[in-house]
Amino acid sequence: MIIERILIFLLFLIGFSAIVAMRNIIKKIFGLNLMNAAVVLLFILEGSRIGSQAPILDDGIIHMVDPIPQALMLTAIVIGVCVSALSLALAVRLYQATGSLDIDVITKRLADEH
Amino acid sequence: MKALTHSKIILTILILGLAILPVILSDAPWPVQARDYLFGNAKADTGADNTVSAIYLGYRAMDTLGETLVLLVSITGTMSILINLGRHKMDEEAVKFSLEPEKLPRHSLRTNLIEVVASKLGPIVLLFGFYVMLYGHISPGGGFQGGVILASGIVFLALGTELKTKLTNTIVLSRIESLSFLFLMLASISGVFFESGFFGNPVKTVQNLSPNFIILLNIIIGLKVGTSIAVMCIAMMGGSHDH
Amino acid sequence: MIMYILILSLILVLGIFTLASKDLLHSVIALSAISMLSALLFTILRAPDVAITEAAVGAGVSTVIFVWAIRHTQRRDKEES
Repeated sequence: MIIERILIFLLFLIGFSAIVAMRNIIKKIFGLNLMNAAVVLLFILEGSRIGSQAPILDDGIIHMVDPIPQALMLTAIVIGVCVSALSLALAVRLYQATGSLDIDVITKRLADEH
Repeated sequence: MKALTHSKIILTILILGLAILPVILSDAPWPVQARDYLFGNAKADTGADNTVSAIYLGYRAMDTLGETLVLLVSITGTMSILINLGRHKMDEEAVKFSLEPEKLPRHSLRTNLIEVVASKLGPIVLLFGFYVMLYGHISPGGGFQGGVILASGIVFLALGTELKTKLTNTIVLSRIESLSFLFLMLASISGVFFESGFFGNPVKTVQNLSPNFIILLNIIIGLKVGTSIAVMCIAMMGGSHDH
Repeated sequence: MIMYILILSLILVLGIFTLASKDLLHSVIALSAISMLSALLFTILRAPDVAITEAAVGAGVSTVIFVWAIRHTQRRDKEES
């Protein structure tokens, strides 16, 4: 049980280090997606430990999985893709304005224009 | 200079790891009271067999309203950036979306295989999307899932030979999106007039009609999510705004 | 239990490959594979609604928008000094 949590924790840290340490903007957005995936995996994994059947009320269901984390993660996945779409549109606009995808070069070129 | 940046990055990651460590090492048991209550009362309160649908359309419908708003705002923002990408001079009217409009549709890699397969698979995916949307209250599925599958079906049709039909017209799709948001507002206010509160079920007391409210909400949310994501994807593939 | 550890370590390896690759299109395909493995894991963990959403959104819409962004910028991760 602890091993799975440590693996998800490592995935979260790798996503965070991509946002902080990578110079390409698109790789920073990859890191955002990885962090999102790690949090969703953690919630669904923890919520499934208390039962053994899917949360659809049929005949014969006696011991169902917790349905609340699943309802929250539905919202989280959709909002994650919305944030990715908007940030990718902004990245393409930055590339059109300065001609590069490297964050140091973009900062320098934008500072030179003013 | 580089060593200082590297040490700052490693320090940040270590601090974050230390802050999240209690979550990993805790052994508090997961609470079971919510699952037991929902097991007994979800069908009587909302009329749905799918417990997850009963939560996000019955007990916590305000979260769904907030998520629909987030979708609306982000797709509007992305579309406004996309419209300005195709503009070359500052004062001309923008009608095309992508940067290189001449690359579509006679690109050299766009063979007959893609066009034939995509346009034949499109209606089947649309049918599956409507099925998942309408059966959301008794089997896994619902508004969001059906809506995203609907968006993929419309993208299939746009990739195929049907680039100029009404279903892939961005003006028609954006009108459907605005109308569904209006109907969502009307459906949520209707609970107030029937003494069930905001977003309440107006037909809760009638026994056989009780899941119909959830079916109506599923259809409205599915149409809204599907058409807005389809408009964004068609605009990204280079469609124009003036059919 | 072994199945969970296996799928999670595969997701971790694909995540490291996403960030270390120089060709951005390979990274996008690895991200789509992470979504598919996540959807498989959600099905095993008895969460069918989340599995359908993750499969449709991750392997569908997310890949389309990333490929659009790469097409209108650079495909390789150039290291400028």
